[in-house]
Amino acid sequence: MATNLTRRNFLKAASIAAASVPLSQVTAKAQSGVVKAPLVSPGSFKNTQTAVGGVCEMCFWRCQLVGKVRDGRLIKLEGNPKSIDNGEAICARGNAGVAMLYDPDRLKYPLKNVGERGAPKWQRISWEEALDTCATKLKTIIDRDGAKGLCFFGHGSHAKYLMDFLERTVSTPNISEASFFQCRGVRDTAYLATLDIAPDENVDMANAKVIFFTGTHIGENIHLSHAKNYLRGLEQGAKLIVVDPRYSASAAKSHIWVQIRPGTDTAFVLAIMNYLIQNKKYNADFVEEHGEGFAEMAKGIREWTLEKAAEECDVPASQIKEVADLMAANMPHVAIHPGRHTTWYGNDFQRCRALACLTGLLGAIGCKGGLVLPKGPKGLTRINWPYVPHEEDSVLRDVADEHHFSPPGTPTELLRDAAISGKPYPIKGAVICGQNIMQCMPNQEKTIKMLKQMEFVLCVDIMPTDSTMYADILLPDCSYLEKSDFIKTGQQWDLGKDPQQYIAPRMPLVAPGFERKDSIWITNELAKRMGYGDKIPAQNQEELADKALAGVNLSLAKIKAEGGIHVQPGVSPYDDIDDLTVHFYNEDMEDEGYPPIPTYVPIEQPPQGFVRLVYGRTPLHTFNRTANNPWLVNEAKTNPLWVNDKLAARLGLKEGDTIKLTNQDGVTSPTTTTVKVTPGIREDVVYLYHGYGTKNPEMTQAVNRGIDDNSLITKIAVDPESGAHGMRNNFVKIVKVS
Amino acid sequence: MPGLTCSSHQCADTVAETTILSRLYSFLALTMHYPDPELCNTVFFEAMTSLLESLGSQTELSLLRDWLNQTPDPLNDLRTAYTHLFITADSGETIPPYASIYRDGNGTLQGRSTEQIRNFYRQCGFDITDTNEPADHIRFQLDFLAALTSEARFEDEQFFLQTFFRPWFELFQKKFMQEARHPFYTVSIQLIDFFTKEEQ
Repeated sequence: MATNLTRRNFLKAASIAAASVPLSQVTAKAQSGVVKAPLVSPGSFKNTQTAVGGVCEMCFWRCQLVGKVRDGRLIKLEGNPKSIDNGEAICARGNAGVAMLYDPDRLKYPLKNVGERGAPKWQRISWEEALDTCATKLKTIIDRDGAKGLCFFGHGSHAKYLMDFLERTVSTPNISEASFFQCRGVRDTAYLATLDIAPDENVDMANAKVIFFTGTHIGENIHLSHAKNYLRGLEQGAKLIVVDPRYSASAAKSHIWVQIRPGTDTAFVLAIMNYLIQNKKYNADFVEEHGEGFAEMAKGIREWTLEKAAEECDVPASQIKEVADLMAANMPHVAIHPGRHTTWYGNDFQRCRALACLTGLLGAIGCKGGLVLPKGPKGLTRINWPYVPHEEDSVLRDVADEHHFSPPGTPTELLRDAAISGKPYPIKGAVICGQNIMQCMPNQEKTIKMLKQMEFVLCVDIMPTDSTMYADILLPDCSYLEKSDFIKTGQQWDLGKDPQQYIAPRMPLVAPGFERKDSIWITNELAKRMGYGDKIPAQNQEELADKALAGVNLSLAKIKAEGGIHVQPGVSPYDDIDDLTVHFYNEDMEDEGYPPIPTYVPIEQPPQGFVRLVYGRTPLHTFNRTANNPWLVNEAKTNPLWVNDKLAARLGLKEGDTIKLTNQDGVTSPTTTTVKVTPGIREDVVYLYHGYGTKNPEMTQAVNRGIDDNSLITKIAVDPESGAHGMRNNFVKIVKVS
Repeated sequence: MPGLTCSSHQCADTVAETTILSRLYSFLALTMHYPDPELCNTVFFEAMTSLLESLGSQTELSLLRDWLNQTPDPLNDLRTAYTHLFITADSGETIPPYASIYRDGNGTLQGRSTEQIRNFYRQCGFDITDTNEPADHIRFQLDFLAALTSEARFEDEQFFLQTFFRPWFELFQKKFMQEARHPFYTVSIQLIDFFTKEEQ
């Protein structure tokens, strides 16, 4: 600063009088942020305390945690020693929750966008102004267009209470959750159509003799107790079969690796079933007792000889036979994993249904090592917003008469198309909570078009993301470490051990910082302002949890006193299948015009000069949710492109080369990544970890790191039965940058 | 040593100076608050102008006056600028006003520095009023300096400045000055620098 004075001279100078009067006028009114407090002598500060009741949400498996807290600051996270699920172990992401909590890029205050959607300019505002604005804007749309004029995209426990308010009480049918339509919904509805149960991932791998994965790669996808379950099975001698075009972490532990042509898994499973049936190697007693339409299916899949499938799948016929024989020799103790992220090619319902039928054919249900029904604790009170039926002709899949085996909510593509076209009705308000729709919904241009035509966009999140750039109002949610919004229940991870159950309500380990508010408070405040104050089911997050726990005579306080987890005797998961029916042939599907037996639907193969782009998980990140975490970024800085060694040689690519990708529609990745040359992937496929290539500069750790696979998924496939997206049908060329 | 105060002999002619210095720190702390209509008004800007006039800082005075003459809504303008600079910037160029970001190596909030700074406040018989904000926010540190100097605790002031404040502030200021910023905050940061740096 240009001045001839020093501080001392200035203070001494006679001229000080001129400045001192206005200074005193200003500071006299000011409230200091620092006040007198009891003197604390050095060395007498608080010791570290253990806070119990943490339930992780770095991913959605929700391991139970304790926190080491000193003077209100979280120092370290550990697994809760009382846990019969993850135990004292937590994964890299779980450990890095501390860095998420104190990430300086996190949302801290309510913000309004005084710039444009997509190119925001933020201004901090008060909660009062933020909530009043949101309520007024949403109410205006509802009053004019009805509740169907709103849509909601949500993900995780943060979103549930807000979603239930909008779906059940405001009564908009336009709810689209990524966990259903871009992940596992197709699996659940396919199994429901086959076994009348949604399988989750309830496979007893720890006690299996054979474990069968199609595209599942535990070890890259780390769900802790699930990984323990899988590893215990391998320790105890289970044979592992992995069907994957890529040599994944699971393939590396496999006894048989089937390097299949992408998109042909259904043909592979049909050939196994046909072989087992033709050679009478299936579980005939089980099929006799529980099967329905077995003969029709057996007849319908006859064409799937080992040789035909071998040609279609590009694997040896002898390998298909080897897999089938291994299963037959060990049935019923065969863990046919239902998968988790199952939205691959738009023919996924049929693949999942084929897997469920194979499970039934082997009788691998309700037995040691098979698919089991979960036996978690019962009796928690269901607390929810009151239900108001949706307006007539407002449910888009009913209007379109499509996707009759859809998961709950509205298929994303129907919703997005309706919003863009205004037909059958306008959708002008969007509420987005915890879901990064830019990174998880294919064809980003369409998503942007949908958002830009909205009159109002509200985002609730803990971080700025590529999606929050399109918000008009952006509200700072508490993270899972700062609130109580979920009750995790389950049983011990090794189902072969003495049955036990647990109830673990999430409890805050530290107070929320800045002006963050939990989503229950946010929802209630919105509801009051929108005229639904009398419908509020619980006044705050503690009351919500306590009302639910009252059904089992527990409370947050009681469970806290028990160390954060209530453990009680459980029920064996085995032999509880008296009422089970396996619908090998499903008449309901036939009535709606879908194939009644599992059917292979071929997909397009890569055109000349292109390879298929597939994506998956790194064990160090949960999609883009953790992309800004400095600890995790340090461990997994980018997402190298896996390229087959022979293909790399033909293209003149070397390990570590910097590349871009251009897809079949001429879309080029805005960012770059490096090449990983490996024999462990087919020549017609390249692979990326998902969740990289962040565009939002507010994510200072993540921005422009690696390539966002979703930016290259422009060609859309939709599964006809479920309406879920298929996201592995895009092809790319590799463009060397340096 | 923390806890010491000036003797009356040492500070015989500093009663007025002490008051002024404490007010200066309070004023500087206010510039680092999220702009509030109660404070961000004509009186506030006049005080800043007078201060710059007293210092003879013509460049900064022109910056401030030009901005005040040009902006139709200073409060709204400052709120957007503050959010962009110190909370979240669409350019990714936020300059968070917390010591731990610059001092603790891993760039997170609530780091070791935060703990040490709060412990020092307490050792001196003070604490923060709002525990939602990390204790090492620049406004708390300036308020703390105001509290110390109001009691003529110049040794504590100097110790705090040298040990805790200047080491991070210099890094913060360097990042701030890398490109042209909002005039009001450019002037404010310059003033904070002037009144907290060691005299040569």
